[in-house]
Amino acid sequence: MLEQQLVNGFTLGLIYALIAVGYTMVYGVIELINFAHGEIYMLGAFLTLSFISMGLPLPLAVLLAMLAAAAIGVLLDIIAYRPLREAPRLAALITAIGMSIFLQNLAMIIWGSRPMPFPKQALPAFFSEPALTFSDVTISWMQIIIYAVALLLMVGLNLIITRTRVGTAMRALAQNQTAASLMGINVNRVISFTFALGSAMGAMAGIMVSMYYNTMYPTMGYLAGVKAFAAAVLGGIGSVPGAMLGGVVLGIAETLGAGYVSSPYRDGVAYAVMILVIIFRPSGLLGRAVTEKA
Amino acid sequence: MRGAAQSLKYLLLAAALAYPLMPFRDVYVLHVLVLIMVYMVLAMGLNILPGFCGLLDLGFVGFYGIGAYTAGLLTIHYNMSFWLIVPLAVLNGALFGVLLGAPTLRLVGDYFAIVTFGFSELVVLFLTNEIWLTRGPLGIPGIAPISLDVTWLATLLGVDERWRYAFRGEVPYYYLAMVMVALVFLVMTRVEDSRLGRAWLAIREDPMAAASCGVNLFAYKVIAFAVSTGIGALAGAFLARWTLFISPDMFKFWESFLVLCMVVLGGLGNIRGALVGSAILIALGEVLRVALPKLGLPAETRFLAYGLIMVVIMRFRPHGLFTQVAESTMQSSLIKDLRARIAARRTA
Repeated sequence: MLEQQLVNGFTLGLIYALIAVGYTMVYGVIELINFAHGEIYMLGAFLTLSFISMGLPLPLAVLLAMLAAAAIGVLLDIIAYRPLREAPRLAALITAIGMSIFLQNLAMIIWGSRPMPFPKQALPAFFSEPALTFSDVTISWMQIIIYAVALLLMVGLNLIITRTRVGTAMRALAQNQTAASLMGINVNRVISFTFALGSAMGAMAGIMVSMYYNTMYPTMGYLAGVKAFAAAVLGGIGSVPGAMLGGVVLGIAETLGAGYVSSPYRDGVAYAVMILVIIFRPSGLLGRAVTEKA
Repeated sequence: MRGAAQSLKYLLLAAALAYPLMPFRDVYVLHVLVLIMVYMVLAMGLNILPGFCGLLDLGFVGFYGIGAYTAGLLTIHYNMSFWLIVPLAVLNGALFGVLLGAPTLRLVGDYFAIVTFGFSELVVLFLTNEIWLTRGPLGIPGIAPISLDVTWLATLLGVDERWRYAFRGEVPYYYLAMVMVALVFLVMTRVEDSRLGRAWLAIREDPMAAASCGVNLFAYKVIAFAVSTGIGALAGAFLARWTLFISPDMFKFWESFLVLCMVVLGGLGNIRGALVGSAILIALGEVLRVALPKLGLPAETRFLAYGLIMVVIMRFRPHGLFTQVAESTMQSSLIKDLRARIAARRTA
């Protein structure tokens, strides 16, 4: 029982981690909580659905959905956030919430407000079958795929951030925007790249969740976004490895909390973790201490 | 021009006062008007935090819910009078405000927003799951309406009668809501112009400069939070005794968002703007609620419009639609002069 809970919690945690890196990267470069990130996650699932219903094969549909989500993320920054870079923080935060609500309702208008199943015929039949069975623990193929994709994406992301020029530019921006631009870094282009990267990963998380639970609905980004944000805070906002760790810890804590403490308060675990971490250890598990910039 | 605006204001006030007595009054319109006034109180209460202090509060509705449930439960279990419940609900809201605010108000702005958000979601979870206390998702039906018992006055005057007036229909609530809006408005305008209000504005403009001028940041922020949450709870107490039914669904995040949208539309920190913002958005909501299903869209999609309004206002009119109205609430000539000079320097 406990082992099964751990397996399920780990799966959920990897999903949160994938979304959380998007929050944490954007926060790292422009110090904005991108509330609309949860909606990108939701759009990933729905765009895949639309591409599949156009008759595209699954891998191509997923790839296109990720690209489209990345484009939406970049557009979101250019249209909504970029004009407010010099404005007070409050203005950008309110805009982010506004965009989140806007995208959510747009999805409701386009795809309807009722939950939709992931198209069964597009998925290979073995996905839902158990892959590994130990005494009383079952791991499905879908879970294995989530592990593999999530780990692959995270390793890839780490390589991008630590080994490439654009990754170096992202880290430079996170440290000091003015100095970075003086070194010849095109600040806006790097910010766009950050949004694209985070959005693509968030979209992938949405796609895999809709396959895993076989459902998608326009408001799914709300709760997942909040929880992923809690994960980012737990890991230390601005820290990419922290977001990954925070996601996994939160996923396991939530599953165990629901299983052993109180299942109606399942969603409360994320809120409680978030509030407690912010109050007692605002720098999170792996983050640097943050001070308010005047 | 100034005189015309003034007489228009009095005309509107007179019309609002007279409307429920007119033969052509409509129950639905009255209901919407009362709803607008509830939101006016909420918007004025929320305005204190993002408007005066520059702190984004995303969990305002949590305190609205605390006020409503305090009132609802006290009515159901102890049959307490509304007039006694109001101060209790306000105190309870302010108490939770201080409990939440004291540890979190030291935080950086964004973190504060998130903590308030998490808190209000926890309130909804609590209301949904603690069935022994709140009946959970079923909500609390059958709350007694407000009644005004002035038998004591009768005894004082030596009349041997029971002077008790029970609120029935929308009309008495309409006038009570008006009194509530007027009182909160009065308090808010006076506070804005007081030492307290100036300290808040100083914190919003530049916390560091404010602190170096001797403003105790923490104390003033906690006071702001307590006042704001107390007003939220006041609106909640009224709501409970007006709709006579409360459920956790009524206190979800959307409500916080809606109230924030009203404040933003009217201009952050603009008390009169908050009033206009509430009237516009509730009226718009009612229109969209009817219009959207006719277009084959779910009525919830009206939030699309709200989201767009917030983005567009922040982009093009960050001080709200009613900047001229904002200036007039400040009466101190010193502050007015200072503001004008700061504005002049900014444009230069």
